[in-house]
Amino acid sequence: MKTVVLLSDARHAISGRATLSGLEARAISLAAALDPAPRGLHAGGGAEGVSAGLGHGLQGLDVLDLPEGADPVPALAAHLQAALGKNDAPGIVLAGRRGEGGLETGLVPYLLADALGLPILADAVALRQGEAAGTLVVDQAMQKGARRRVTIRLPAVVTVHPLAPPPRPFAYAKMRRGEIRFLPTAEAIGDTAGGGNGSGSGEERPHRARPKLMRTGGTAAGAHNLHVGPEPEEAARLILDYLEANGIRRYGDTRG
Amino acid sequence: MTAAAFLPWLTVAMVLVAAVQIGRRVILWRGGGPAAVDWRAGLTALPRRYLVDVHHVVDRDRSASRMHVPTAGGLVLACGLLVLGLVPAIAASRLYFALVALAFLTMAAGVFLEARRRYPRALPRLSLGRWQRLPVYLGVFALGGFATALLAALGNPLPALSFLTFFAAAAAGLALAGTAATGPMRHALAGAAHLVAHPRPARFEGGRSTDLAPLDLDAAKLGAETPADFGWNRLLGFDACVQCGRCEAACPAFAAGQPLSPKHLVADLAAAAGGGHARPYAGMPYPNQRPTGGAAGLHAAVISPEGLVHPDTLWSCTTCRACVEECPMMIEHVDAIVDLRRFQTLELGAVPSKAEEPLENLRGCDEPNGRRLSERTDFAAGLSLPRIAETGEADVVLWLGQAAFDLRGQRTLKALIRTLHAAGVDFAVLGEEERDCGDLARRLGDEATFQRLAAANIEALSRHRFRRILTADPHALHVIRNEYPALGGSYDVVHHTAFLAELVAAGRLAPAALAGRAVTYHDPCYLGRYNGEVEAPRALLDALGLERREMARSGKRSMCCGGGGGAPSADIPGDTRIPDIRMDQAKTTGARIVAVACPQCTAMLEGVTGERPEVRDVAELVWEALEAGGAAATARAKELEPA
Repeated sequence: MKTVVLLSDARHAISGRATLSGLEARAISLAAALDPAPRGLHAGGGAEGVSAGLGHGLQGLDVLDLPEGADPVPALAAHLQAALGKNDAPGIVLAGRRGEGGLETGLVPYLLADALGLPILADAVALRQGEAAGTLVVDQAMQKGARRRVTIRLPAVVTVHPLAPPPRPFAYAKMRRGEIRFLPTAEAIGDTAGGGNGSGSGEERPHRARPKLMRTGGTAAGAHNLHVGPEPEEAARLILDYLEANGIRRYGDTRG
Repeated sequence: MTAAAFLPWLTVAMVLVAAVQIGRRVILWRGGGPAAVDWRAGLTALPRRYLVDVHHVVDRDRSASRMHVPTAGGLVLACGLLVLGLVPAIAASRLYFALVALAFLTMAAGVFLEARRRYPRALPRLSLGRWQRLPVYLGVFALGGFATALLAALGNPLPALSFLTFFAAAAAGLALAGTAATGPMRHALAGAAHLVAHPRPARFEGGRSTDLAPLDLDAAKLGAETPADFGWNRLLGFDACVQCGRCEAACPAFAAGQPLSPKHLVADLAAAAGGGHARPYAGMPYPNQRPTGGAAGLHAAVISPEGLVHPDTLWSCTTCRACVEECPMMIEHVDAIVDLRRFQTLELGAVPSKAEEPLENLRGCDEPNGRRLSERTDFAAGLSLPRIAETGEADVVLWLGQAAFDLRGQRTLKALIRTLHAAGVDFAVLGEEERDCGDLARRLGDEATFQRLAAANIEALSRHRFRRILTADPHALHVIRNEYPALGGSYDVVHHTAFLAELVAAGRLAPAALAGRAVTYHDPCYLGRYNGEVEAPRALLDALGLERREMARSGKRSMCCGGGGGAPSADIPGDTRIPDIRMDQAKTTGARIVAVACPQCTAMLEGVTGERPEVRDVAELVWEALEAGGAAATARAKELEPA
């Protein structure tokens, strides 16, 4: 199953040097278990830092030449769109769940999936080929250590969670032997004509305070309120009782 | 025609058989990699290397030298005389045969002494099997030759007996010659050839050569995977092994029950080069031996699940060089281990999982613990610690090393800095410009990271003017002094014990006597064995008026603390811990203080639990003595001066 791993422009947390993101190193290890020759894809100024991916198991690396500060999404989307149209199309596009030391928006995989029209599955910790052809079984990391097993139809974008198994150790000679292809992009040739066009990933908006997401009903309450196959009348009464018991809705007030 | 007349022809036959056998082995050695060998210098130096350097090591075990001198001397003398016997006029002389008999008798005496080491029960470090049978063959050959030559010298009174003894000698002699390529007698020619073509000629005649050779990072294959990847003279070295087991007896990993025996490893490498057959190894197995496939060949991977050697064997080594120091055949075990590690790390990325973390940190931020380089001098808050970037130049650059990030190491460094102020030394630190010296990366086989760090450090040092580099870390000392020159940086590097000893000798420090306390000094491998510095720390301790007690293993034959070579990072489990063994040795001296001179040794020995002597760096003891002597007041005044 052909796999492409997206490599971001990461900075080392201590030294600030260009480096390979730890999440992407994990993604490479997951990819190497599915694809004997996974390729990396990076959009940016050069291969410094991301070339370490070759030492962790990538067989090749494509670098889309972009000027400093340019939005990588259109270039990545165009490159992947072209690759998906070919015979030997990639089945899985792997990415870290967010960058390290760069902008760290965590949005690139979503914007890319949107631009390519592919499904996206977040926070994978394990991947294996599904029983049916063209499917992938993904173990997703949930909160509090829970795991969920999901089967998806390929092609798809999958992001990798920090709890994925540690990456394969780095091997210098593999990095040295790996092939790096530098590919020109439209952005590098023409001018970028400002941010915020097309996909909108570069759009800037003023900060708006968002309502806090609250979690209602702990696990203990849920256990008490589990009713299997109740009558519709009974179910409605139970829901109304629950709302009233929790003070969400007071029927007495509205009636009175 | 007497039986003795056939003795010269027997010698010729033995030489021919041995030559054919060794020729086959020579073809095997030629399968190794290229190596630059100065043949002329090697051949002219051979007698001296054998009679002085080798004998010096052999003679540490008196029973070995007493056994080997008559055996080898008698054998060579007897065979040499017998070749002369091809001249008919000489063969007719009874005096000649008396001389031959004397040579055989000398040999027989040596064989008797050798047999005493092996029968009724062999020393535990010796190999059995073919090695146990060797004195039998040698004895039959010597006694048979002696009897035959003696009968000829007496005028051949018993011709029948003479033929009988001749046939015994012939059978044993030809059996020895027939196994000259695979059996114990291989050591004779391989050992001599190894001395001629030794990969480290500088270690002979009182010299020292302990630096690892830089690896060409553009080579087709990095490090050694198969026996053929070793230089041909390294293969020669593996074949020179006599399996005396001195390396094994000295190996700290073996003592701690980790799966490493240098003797077994060298025997495995020799067997791997030979290839194809099961290894006829009859020594002690690797402690807690991990199962391996056992496949061997000149072009088969040595370290692999199917191969001869398990990776844990490789990663147990602390690179303390005790095996190299003890080896009478001058085999370079540590070089072989590092070559094998280089392949594992650089080509396969197969470092132990715990060792990957410091390597990753070194790649990412030039520091094995992932600390910020600018934090290196944080520990010295309140001390005056000038940075060379501010002062512009200094007489001495103080290389702080990794100890600056470790609370225990910081105590040593603070004592050293205060002492330097007290002596009025003009010194400065590199500050942020100091990166890790690269020792850990190099010993773990990550030559790429080592060379990058070394180049960055050399570049940083080249920006400043100074005379000497002072360090309290023998690992940094060794790497900067002995391994940076090959990468373009030659410096005068001095260890703090030597530097402080100089200051005391010059009268710039006046430590008070710390009398009434007994101390034992633990030699760091990278200072003692690697750099031959065993006198200065002891002179310093004596100058402090401490009662110095020596452990059974001290000086260049000291035992490792277990902290070198990335062994604590690799953390291969054994039966016990190396520092526990060393601390027990320190305890038996009855000293209440173990003096150390290396942050690694400090950390390892302080990790020993239970009641034990106190671990103090020599610098701390010096500062204590200075404080007692009243130097503290002047130093404190200096500290308050702006940097």
